[in-house]
Amino acid sequence: MSVLGAPTAKEKKYDRQLRLWGAGGQEALERAHILLINATAAGTETLKNLVLPGIGRFTIIDDAVVKDEDLGSNFFLDDSSIGLPRAKKACELLCELNPDVQGDYIDDNITNLIQSSPEKLEDFTTIIVTGDVPVSTILSLDSLLYPTDIPVFVLKCVGFTMTCRLALSEHTIVESHPESTVDLRLLKPFAELVALYEEKAANMDDKEKMSTHDHGHIPYVIILLKALDDWRSTHNGNVPSNYREKNEFKSFLRGKMWNADEENFEEAIAAVLPYFNPPSIPSATREIFEDEKCDKLVSGSSDFWIIARAIKEFTYNMNDGLLPLPGALPDMKAESKDYIRLQNVYKSKARTDLASVMGVVRTLLPGLGRDPNSISESDVETFCKHAGYAKLLRGRSLKDEYEDSPKVKTISNELSDPTSLIHYYLGLRAYEMFISEESNSGHVPPGTEDSTAESDAEKLDQYVKMLLDKLNITHSAELLEGTSKAVREIVRVGGGELHNISSLAGGLVAQEIIKVITKQYIPMNNTVVFDGISSRSQVYEL
Amino acid sequence: MDTIDISNLNRQFLFREADVGKSKAEVAAAFVMKRVRGVTITPFNCAIQDKDDEYYKQFKIVVCGLDSVEARRWMNATLVNLVDDETLIPLIDGGTEGFKGQARVILPTISSCYECSLDMHTPRAAVPLCTLASIPRQPAHCIEWASVIQWPKEKGDLKLDTDDPEHISWLYTRALERAKEFNIPGVTYSMTQGVVKNIIPAIASTNAIVAASCCNEALKIATTAAPYLDNYMMYTGNESIYTYTFTHEKKENCPVCGNLPQNLEVNPEWTLEELMEKLQERPETTLRKPSLRTSSKSLYLQAPKQLEEQTRPNLEKKLKELIEAGDELSISDPGMPFNLRFIISMSE
Repeated sequence: MSVLGAPTAKEKKYDRQLRLWGAGGQEALERAHILLINATAAGTETLKNLVLPGIGRFTIIDDAVVKDEDLGSNFFLDDSSIGLPRAKKACELLCELNPDVQGDYIDDNITNLIQSSPEKLEDFTTIIVTGDVPVSTILSLDSLLYPTDIPVFVLKCVGFTMTCRLALSEHTIVESHPESTVDLRLLKPFAELVALYEEKAANMDDKEKMSTHDHGHIPYVIILLKALDDWRSTHNGNVPSNYREKNEFKSFLRGKMWNADEENFEEAIAAVLPYFNPPSIPSATREIFEDEKCDKLVSGSSDFWIIARAIKEFTYNMNDGLLPLPGALPDMKAESKDYIRLQNVYKSKARTDLASVMGVVRTLLPGLGRDPNSISESDVETFCKHAGYAKLLRGRSLKDEYEDSPKVKTISNELSDPTSLIHYYLGLRAYEMFISEESNSGHVPPGTEDSTAESDAEKLDQYVKMLLDKLNITHSAELLEGTSKAVREIVRVGGGELHNISSLAGGLVAQEIIKVITKQYIPMNNTVVFDGISSRSQVYEL
Repeated sequence: MDTIDISNLNRQFLFREADVGKSKAEVAAAFVMKRVRGVTITPFNCAIQDKDDEYYKQFKIVVCGLDSVEARRWMNATLVNLVDDETLIPLIDGGTEGFKGQARVILPTISSCYECSLDMHTPRAAVPLCTLASIPRQPAHCIEWASVIQWPKEKGDLKLDTDDPEHISWLYTRALERAKEFNIPGVTYSMTQGVVKNIIPAIASTNAIVAASCCNEALKIATTAAPYLDNYMMYTGNESIYTYTFTHEKKENCPVCGNLPQNLEVNPEWTLEELMEKLQERPETTLRKPSLRTSSKSLYLQAPKQLEEQTRPNLEKKLKELIEAGDELSISDPGMPFNLRFIISMSE
């Protein structure tokens, strides 16, 4: 039996996430094809969190066979997997999680794939690197993919420590999901809003002409606009601008109450501090407007940049420096019809602004060799609503971090803080150098043998110093105390992966991948370090 | 005691479509035992309150994956009450909402307990009934009108089942009509469901972060491989990755783990019944059928029947006839696994 308006089977299954990223976000996930390099515990845990919400497709590349020790940390391998290709078995057990998702595997290693058919990498929408992949291979991946805008996540889990590095040159977000997009324009009301409050608040101070009931139901926006008008007339046309004046204004409002329990006046008083700010363009939006890509549109410019440019032109040339109105109105004490009328005044101004921006978009498109209707009004509308909350992230390549322009200042500043998690970052860089340098003698992670643990730790100490010397960062035994501790913690676990930490890492990384793929919410830029001992994380731009 | 719903599958890696309708505890236990060799998991398809102190005493650590404040308060108070010379069972608690979550470690009586932090949860402000009844402005007002006012009016004694699609559909239709009458845009089926079921968005990745963090703390406590969390980690993923790890302070006058009874000012002219009504309004109490005692006498007892009858006349009496300033008042209630203690002071 069909029930009116009832959701489809798919909407039922994904209900709890559709409430976060909507049908648009879900479609983006379903178009995604994710490559996992190595079916480590952290790798399969990451995929688990992407298969469950229904990504389109994944592929695992791994040439390892399943060993007994894999079973101690990897939930997506079982007894019957021992001795079989790890890529194949992990793929099977991950596919079983969600019949909507297609899974494939390649029983090979990534270094070979890069050499034999690097063009295949461009089939993927996102790439996750886990396990002990040589630094040289990671840098080759980076040089192939960084210019293509395919995001690469490099994930490392050793003992209680994890890091994840995102290499993505540019990421633009419209739907950043701010807590609220309310912009009441109280200090710069538009004509229709002025007309409405002049009509509705004319008798606000006249007990002869307005009933007590009506007075207690004037929407607070109207109260504030009228009171501001009165205030201006006794304050040389100025509005309350600092904290003291705003407090005086609150007392002024209180004086306009007819009795002590008028909730609408209480709401007006509470709205003074949050909403009495002159409209301004947030710095994140200005960054977008000032970016070269906004100024120099080309035929390949993405819709984001074209709409951003149209909004910029609208703001500066047509709207007195104000962004398009988002049109949202919070709930407030009022009669239904008065509230709806006020809401419609905001909405219709938002629609007028949208029409102007749409007009600019349509004039820009032909000059870029595109159909004037090739950008939908709903995309422009979404951008207009979020114009003050859109965000541009400019990333850095791994080559930038490792070779061309390391973030020397960030690292040296953090080094002096013994509680900083940068010590783990340095410890893991040293770990990576150890694996690259010493693996010829049989690829043994530091600390594997108890008897050589301390000498391995001393080697890592040396690698840390080599790295800092290369970066021209001065160091001392005192400054390196934190790093030395981190190194010993890393060595203590002998390269072992702890399932808890891999699972936590899989959650953190999957969440960042979802944000990047859906282009909703704001991903981290560009490195997160998590320490499972103190249960703390830090994000660095490296 | 919960069963598997289709909407769990977007984040529950132990459940499959064929498991919908089965017991969560049983399916989860069977799946993990099949996947991981050598592990024994005993499922109980029952409420946590069905088990007694003796049952909980056998565990070394309790990890909570609960979904309500009520259940958490109960488990917390139970473990605090178990503390004696030989017993101290750490409680690890986690929870998520959308891209946010938290994990914490509670050492009963030693560190801050769940009750100590109760004021961190601000309950959603209820919409005034007169707004629903006469001046709706939001789609949610129309939906609440349909469920709170129209359902009992039109359906009489039939209980609203928020899992029944026909019931939701009925509410949706009514809400839609109401919205049309007042020109309110935006009522949808999905929103109707969200409002009446108070649905909290939930995804696999956030749950993985919080669940793994809880396991990590359990592992550290069980193995002593590293120090455990002291004592609270909050995680937010809406913008970048942000964690805030801090020591939540123990509340000295916590009604569960604190030693000090709270001060309670009463009007000597109130009757005992009025006092009980006022106590029920207090936010930190969830009293349903309270029994009240002082250290020297029983003021009102709900059970057994004989004592109830004996103490019932006190309900009409004024407080000044029953208690004095400085008396310690102890309140027990089936809705709370602990007693509330108050020191009485009299207002003028």
